[in-house]
Amino acid sequence: METLVQSLVSGILTGSLYAMIGVGLTIIFGVMRIINMAHGDMVMLGMYSSFWALTLWNIDPFVSIVFWVPVAFLIGMLTYRFLLKKIVPAGELNTLLYTAGLSLFVSNLALLVWTGDYRTIKLDYAVMPLRPFGIAVPIPLAIAFGMAILITALLYWFLVKTDTGRAIRATSQEPMAAALMGVNAAQMEMLTFGLGTALACGAGVLLAPSLYLYPTVGEILVAKCFVIVVLGGLGSVQGAIAGGLLLGVVESLGAVYVSVPYKDAIGFVIFLLVLLFRPSGLFGVGKS
Amino acid sequence: MKKTVLIIIGLIVLGIAPLVVRSPFFVHLMIMVLMWTVLGASWNILGGYAGQVSFGHATFLGAGAYTTMILYLSCGVDPWYGIFIGGIVAVLISLPIGFICFRLRGPYFSLSTLAVAEIVRLVALNWESLTAGPVGLLITTLPQVSFFGKAINWESKVPFYYIIAIITLIALIITYIVSRTRVGAYLLALREDIDSAESIGINTVKARVVALALSAFLAGIAGGFYAMYLRYVDPDAVFSIGLSVEMLFIAVVGGLATVGGPLIGAIVLVTLGESFREHFLSGHLIFYGFFMMLAIRYMPDGVWGRINTLFKKLRLKKDVNHGTA
Amino acid sequence: MALLDVEGLTKCFGGLKAVSNLSFQVNEGEILGLIGPNGAGKTTVFSLITGFVPPNEGKVLLEGKDIVGLKPYSIAHKGVARTFQIVKPFRKLTVLENVSLAAFLRHSARKEAEAEARRVLERVELIDKAASYASDLTLSEQKRLEIARALATNPKVLLLDEPMGGLNPTEIDHASILVRDICKSGVTIVWVEHVLKAIMNSCHRVIVIHHGEKIADMPPEQIVINPVVIEAYLGKKANSYKKGEPIC
Ligand SMILES: Nc1ncnc2c1ncn2[C@@H]1O[C@H](COP(=O)(O)OP(=O)(O)OP(=O)(O)O)[C@@H](O)[C@H]1O
Ligand SMILES: [Mg+2]
Repeated sequence: METLVQSLVSGILTGSLYAMIGVGLTIIFGVMRIINMAHGDMVMLGMYSSFWALTLWNIDPFVSIVFWVPVAFLIGMLTYRFLLKKIVPAGELNTLLYTAGLSLFVSNLALLVWTGDYRTIKLDYAVMPLRPFGIAVPIPLAIAFGMAILITALLYWFLVKTDTGRAIRATSQEPMAAALMGVNAAQMEMLTFGLGTALACGAGVLLAPSLYLYPTVGEILVAKCFVIVVLGGLGSVQGAIAGGLLLGVVESLGAVYVSVPYKDAIGFVIFLLVLLFRPSGLFGVGKS
Repeated sequence: MKKTVLIIIGLIVLGIAPLVVRSPFFVHLMIMVLMWTVLGASWNILGGYAGQVSFGHATFLGAGAYTTMILYLSCGVDPWYGIFIGGIVAVLISLPIGFICFRLRGPYFSLSTLAVAEIVRLVALNWESLTAGPVGLLITTLPQVSFFGKAINWESKVPFYYIIAIITLIALIITYIVSRTRVGAYLLALREDIDSAESIGINTVKARVVALALSAFLAGIAGGFYAMYLRYVDPDAVFSIGLSVEMLFIAVVGGLATVGGPLIGAIVLVTLGESFREHFLSGHLIFYGFFMMLAIRYMPDGVWGRINTLFKKLRLKKDVNHGTA
Repeated sequence: MALLDVEGLTKCFGGLKAVSNLSFQVNEGEILGLIGPNGAGKTTVFSLITGFVPPNEGKVLLEGKDIVGLKPYSIAHKGVARTFQIVKPFRKLTVLENVSLAAFLRHSARKEAEAEARRVLERVELIDKAASYASDLTLSEQKRLEIARALATNPKVLLLDEPMGGLNPTEIDHASILVRDICKSGVTIVWVEHVLKAIMNSCHRVIVIHHGEKIADMPPEQIVINPVVIEAYLGKKANSYKKGEPIC
């Protein structure tokens, strides 16, 4: 019983960060119809930003996130404007290949400047986990969880309550109608790519104290991201949140009840099953 | 006519290159270029001709590599047969994968191949009784073979060079035959529009399976060679996403659905990558990413396609000049 | 025996009955018109006959043999060819390659297939464009390419889905002549079209479907004065419509 609760809790904690990354990928897909293979590398860049802010300037990750997220937002918009804008009209497959190229470029640049060494972030206050009700909760993960919820909720509020957010959702659901109503599609795409990148990068900053950092960590993260987004239905924000939490829980339950080595495979198997039998996602809200 | 001359010159260069340039790095580089040509050609048959963009071709490379290795280590099967059997095993593995992934189209097919390849890698990592898991398999000696009464020295890279040169020729000839016959035409139809292809009597399921099997066979053979050349395999060395992506990039950058594309792609990318690796510890794939972005943006037909159009333009100009003269 | 015999064909998409208990026959050598308002189920009928969509019920007999359940490619082998309402050319291949691919169905050698393709391109007057990429053609040319490709499979029955949609009057007259010419060469034709004038001038017989059901099956002269047909096309207003006047 205790192991069950323990793995549920750690699954939900990790899942909240997965969800944050997944939401970033899914809004980009929703608005632009592109599968961004470089999304995982944005997370990786976030992790390294977090690491360097701590190492060089001694700024705690949970403080440095306050400026890394806006920086990532800007970088995302610039990436869209100067690298992606001309490619997106060339179709899904071309953008898939292009972003795969971008991903390889970014991760190898990181390898070049930061080498392939594994790094970790050590925080003084993170040595001992909290133990409420006898369940171990690592402190950095708990803080990251709180911040991930806060950021995701902010984004949700932005999408639902503000005019710009509504325009983004409109572009995602009815591109033609949105264009007719005078929504500037290119602007929405730039904004969305910025937001998606900021979410990925922010999640990276938050994850850094809990994971190993290495330049190709994005490869695994982006694969997980696809699982999440397909689970929730491509293009659906709620779906991605649910999918992220679900994957977190499935992985941590799988590690306990199936086997540690195969825990990553479970996600992919579910992914294939969903793609084949429920292409609009488990909750049937996405676009197939 | 001119083409034949060019091909003959190419063959001669291929034949004497390692005898002329004796630097081990150079021979190693050429071996890598040729091996990646085979892998690029393999990917090109499925992704270029048939238009099914796979992100999981490392599966077939790995299947070939492990088959050859395991057969040699535990049954004493000569690598020459082993490499061939490795190709066959890759084909066998490709069939269930095709059964699953071909239900999906476009980017969804690509993502599904990625997922399958990751599952296969994890299985290889954990099925320790067969693959020895993350430790990998290592061979110390290769079998004694004599060639015209002279024992082959496996410590030199030159014999490997000739073996992979022959495999490369076979791969290019297969691609050529595919491109010139009904099969290749069917694959192109498949790439363009599946419904239309069916409506004119093409069995698109069969065509895709044929493309996949052919593609897997070539990748499996290259995998077997890779294992023997490195004398070592482990799951991350032969099953990683990175390898799948490299094959894809070589084929796309070289020129999709062309016979010479993978060769050009491999020459450009592998040479840059390996030379880079000589000087820096890591990050040699940086050019792959860079060239991919360039190719998609400026040369959708790849380097080879670009060269072809340039030549055509030149020829046209010449003809025009002749006309006015 | 009819060449093509459709019996009790039914297809539901979710709750929508796109085709409902539809039966009709196609006789050898005729041009059969198939008309009906938008969404009547015409394209679905073609997809059912050619195996792209499986029917819920019913049979399709080609020369007496049921072809329901066969894959589209094997139905093409048996001699039923179709065109697509929304043209689907092989865009990055040339016109000649497009048509040669179809000719491969009956000719395995590349040379023969190409020769056949050229003959077909002559017939549809696309031979000048043989070397152009399909994506560079005008809509009218793409529609003719669509016909050429179907024709190159040397079919017994040719199903044409709105070959004139989007064409101008001159092009329409041109296309009508082509369709009649194809029929004269011994190919039986089923023809879906919204340009009723063309149908009326060329068809031997016309079937009207509405909400997936057959509401008329008669020679073209009678169709235009049939009250049920007029009502289907013009809705309730048909009551106020002067009887006996042609609808087009
Ligand atoms: N694959 C499908 N899934 C769901 N509904 C479909 C599908 N194909 C067709 N329909 C529906 O079935 C009905 C008949 O469609 P169909 O395309 O056969 O009409 P049509 O007579 O060809 O119309 P048009 O003259 O506009 O071409 C329509 O209501 C259409 O929306
Ligand atoms: Mg229709």
